[in-house]
Amino acid sequence: MSSSVEMRDSDVRAGKGGRHTGRSPDMARIVRRETRSTRAGAAIVAAVVVMALAGYGLLEAAVHAIGQPPWLIEPQVAAERLTALPAGISPLLLGAIGAVLAMVGLVFFLNGVAPGRRARHTLAGGWLESGRPAVVIDDEVIASSLARRARLAANVTPEQVMVVVSQRQVMVNLRPTSGVPVDGDAVLDAVREEVDQMALDPAPEVRINVAPSGVVGA
Amino acid sequence: MNSTPTVLNRILLTLLGLKLLAVGLLLVLLATVPAVAAWWHPWSAAAWSTANDAFNATRFPGRTESWLWMVVAFALLVLIGLMVAWVAQQGKGRSNLLASEYDPGEVPGDVRIGAGVAEQALKQALAGRPDLASSSVTTYDVKGTPTLRIRLLPRQGVAPHLLAAEVSGLVDALDAVVGRKTPVLIHIGAGARTRFGRAERVR
Repeated sequence: MSSSVEMRDSDVRAGKGGRHTGRSPDMARIVRRETRSTRAGAAIVAAVVVMALAGYGLLEAAVHAIGQPPWLIEPQVAAERLTALPAGISPLLLGAIGAVLAMVGLVFFLNGVAPGRRARHTLAGGWLESGRPAVVIDDEVIASSLARRARLAANVTPEQVMVVVSQRQVMVNLRPTSGVPVDGDAVLDAVREEVDQMALDPAPEVRINVAPSGVVGA
Repeated sequence: MNSTPTVLNRILLTLLGLKLLAVGLLLVLLATVPAVAAWWHPWSAAAWSTANDAFNATRFPGRTESWLWMVVAFALLVLIGLMVAWVAQQGKGRSNLLASEYDPGEVPGDVRIGAGVAEQALKQALAGRPDLASSSVTTYDVKGTPTLRIRLLPRQGVAPHLLAAEVSGLVDALDAVVGRKTPVLIHIGAGARTRFGRAERVR
């Protein structure tokens, strides 16, 4: 199985490369946007919250403007209660409302300020220079591909391998079959080779963790 | 890829977050620290009396209601409109045209190639692959340039760089057919279908 993978790889590399030059210049921008969260979900939630509040305010203001009785509370009464605040409400309730508002505000604030990197890598190296399409890969796909490679190298079942891919690190967790020793370095080399072939950006560092206890009956 | 206003999203979210945070902290402090309440009373009373004066000064002649309420209602209406516009900006940017160019030949007019050509052709080419759980192709308008986004959901264990190389071969073929280079983004992703579907065993 792995030999066929290798063959196709060399096939592809020899078949083309450098045939096209001059990709549209905004590709770097597209890739940058694609690896970061757009905050569309939080923005929609925020807009709906503001719309609901404004809608209620609009209702009360309109009702007041045409001299009708208020729906929930007269704006003037509400303002007077606000100015009197610690009085007229139990401090516990007031504190709880304040804490909830502050929490929601903190969530929105962090959504706006945090970098929001998605768990994705791009293909780097000779890939972009050769004018081929920009490629963005979810870390999950990389992890499952590396897990397969590690599984083949260690000759274990899929359940015994777990690969965690983060921005700058690939962690291979391996539980060998009981009584069958696993050469951790060989597995590490195999996974490293696959990572090097991928030429990811940012390039992760590969580590392996072979569990001291084995799995029985695998 | 799409023209979601990411910077605007972040600015507005930050502003709203800071406001809510300030109001929430003020309420918590009012409930817990008596000194804050002592500061709050004269300050808010002064602010409210200023607003009250404004309302009293702007009554309709001969009526008790102030026309300032109309202004408030109108301002809130505008705010709601702006929020709707903001939501409508999210995820925009699909395009119907892959290429549109003046044809210098004898036939008058220009040539337009619909986005469906690329989408259908690539989808058809990817449909038979056993290593893909699903795929989709969409065209976006990135600052005036039609750009293809190919989203691939490979089965578990597929080597993403080899898949990308093969799909880029398909894109080359498409470029040859269309006659001009189209910017392409390939997104190799994972979803529920790949997570719980069968792994690719043999190719």
